[in-house]
Amino acid sequence: MRTSERITALVTSIAGAAVMVYGWRTLNIGSIHVPDAGFFPFLCGAGLTILGVVWMWILQFTREKAAPAQPRRWHRPVLSLALMVLYGWAMESVGYISSTLVFMVAWQKVIEGERWPKTLVISLLGSLAMYALFVFFLKVPVPPELFLR
Amino acid sequence: MDVFTGLLNGFAIALTGTNILFAFLGALIGTAIGVLPGLGPAATIALLLPITYVIASPVTAIIMMAGIYYGSMYGGSTTSILLNLPGEAASVVTCIDGYQMAKKGRAGAALGIAAIGSFVAGTIAVVGLTFFAPPLAEFALDFGPPEYFALTILGLLLAVTLSGGSIVKGLIVLILGLLFAMVGLDPISGKVRFTFGSIGLQGGFDFVTMAMGVFGLGEILYNLESTAKTEIVTTKIGKVFPTLKDWADSKWAIFRGSLIGFFIGIIPGGGAVIASLASYAIEKKRSKHPEQFGQGVIQGVAGPESANNAASSSSFIPLLTLGIPGNASIAMIFAALMIQGITPGPFLVAEHPDLFWGVIASMYIGNAMLLVLNLPLVGLWVQMLRVPYGILAPIIVLFTTIGVYSVQNQVFDIYSMLFFAAIGYGMRKLDFDPAPLPLAFVLGPMVERSLRQSLLISGGDLTIFVSRPISGTMIAILVILIIVQSTLTIRKKLRGRSPVPPVQ
Repeated sequence: MRTSERITALVTSIAGAAVMVYGWRTLNIGSIHVPDAGFFPFLCGAGLTILGVVWMWILQFTREKAAPAQPRRWHRPVLSLALMVLYGWAMESVGYISSTLVFMVAWQKVIEGERWPKTLVISLLGSLAMYALFVFFLKVPVPPELFLR
Repeated sequence: MDVFTGLLNGFAIALTGTNILFAFLGALIGTAIGVLPGLGPAATIALLLPITYVIASPVTAIIMMAGIYYGSMYGGSTTSILLNLPGEAASVVTCIDGYQMAKKGRAGAALGIAAIGSFVAGTIAVVGLTFFAPPLAEFALDFGPPEYFALTILGLLLAVTLSGGSIVKGLIVLILGLLFAMVGLDPISGKVRFTFGSIGLQGGFDFVTMAMGVFGLGEILYNLESTAKTEIVTTKIGKVFPTLKDWADSKWAIFRGSLIGFFIGIIPGGGAVIASLASYAIEKKRSKHPEQFGQGVIQGVAGPESANNAASSSSFIPLLTLGIPGNASIAMIFAALMIQGITPGPFLVAEHPDLFWGVIASMYIGNAMLLVLNLPLVGLWVQMLRVPYGILAPIIVLFTTIGVYSVQNQVFDIYSMLFFAAIGYGMRKLDFDPAPLPLAFVLGPMVERSLRQSLLISGGDLTIFVSRPISGTMIAILVILIIVQSTLTIRKKLRGRSPVPPVQ
């Protein structure tokens, strides 16, 4: 935890400095009498830089936190985030209904590791429910299916 | 318009068929969400924000959102008592004695007193809101840019310091929120900021996208990591109506909890979590048998549950009168108002009395509805806890995706939401509290505008913030807060380094 916190603190400081430079050079900070578009970003950047340094300093005095009692599965959130990105892309390219069905199947198989019969039932029912609610009842204009374009 | 006329008009609005239906829907969804662990009120309101686009009346939309918020406070107690797992953050304290009561076969009494206490506290707080809010709004009419700058900064810093987490991390999240709010056109000079050539970013990040990403999906991604399995207390729930002895034991805890919750809820950053913690500490201190706390004492459920409900109602006061959201859930309601084209603040009472009084009146009705929903239907809520997260999570993902897409019909918003989801997940991983992010995001434009306007008015003279009585007082409170907080932190650090072992 401490290494990742140190890295985050360092990134915070560097990002803050970058925001300061961006506010000063690209946006122009103006003056204290007539502040311009870069004035507030510059102040925020300065704040981030200082906080990053303070955080690194505080980390010198804090003890390492104990590992969580329950093991955590970090690959599941990473995989599901990747699935969501693909779903966003597929929604526009393939159409709402097909992409939703494929997304549900992929989720049940890849993330939950379910068996095929359960996967198919949940995916079909879930996709149908989403279609009924959003397309049929709420009339949300969703991307049309590829084969219907 | 005096308070009674306003309230009567409010009841006339709140008692229309549509508004009763939406208040009921809000209370129902709120209770369901409160019951389900891993999805808090802020996330739920964020997930449902797109619905406000299709609800024609702003009064109806806000009545529903408010119902979700205070409904979730009621529902949160069910999971705490039966699972020893808080359904939402403010119910953490209820776990301590509520779960012990359930293990002793007194789950029904714990659930019953939680619902009744919540009803009493919610009603007391709404009465307070009825009488406190109008004069406060009138007072705020005198505010100029320096006062607004001091007030927003004070509100944001209170939100960070009172959250109980690391102040440095809280401040980083706060600045991040301010920076996200700056993306797009500068409102004063019209310059494009932080878009890096993207046309999609020129209009800035949408609040719905940010809130759904950080709170909705961020929370789901984090929960997906967990391998913990929870067990519902399977003993019979029993009678949910408390006995006379239960009532006698808890009536003062409910009353004290209501008052504590009401006043803490008014403070920006105060909110339901601190209110319930404070109430538990006070009940334990006042008790003749403090050693029994933690072993299933009814006051340990009645006090905190009353306090968190009172705080959730009174936290509407700074929103409706000053335009300052005190916590993440209220920031979502702030956004819902903005979506409806209404700017919350001191002019709200005068310009939109129908909304102001309609929402207040609906809270009286909503509280009564929640009592009915929570006492006889507790068995139904328990059944809902059996829905596997593996089914719930992808359904929520589908909801958020189509919800965000429906706002502007563009896939770019889905990618923006996923960007914020990654940020929300990262924050939870690194132990950052994401609550200050939506507050800073909604208040960011006001902070920047009031700062720049104040400097323009004063010709760059910074004493404008301390020379005016109202802003000067707020800055003084801010300075005192910083000194007290720094002293406490340093003392804590020094104590932590002392060689004396901690007393058990």
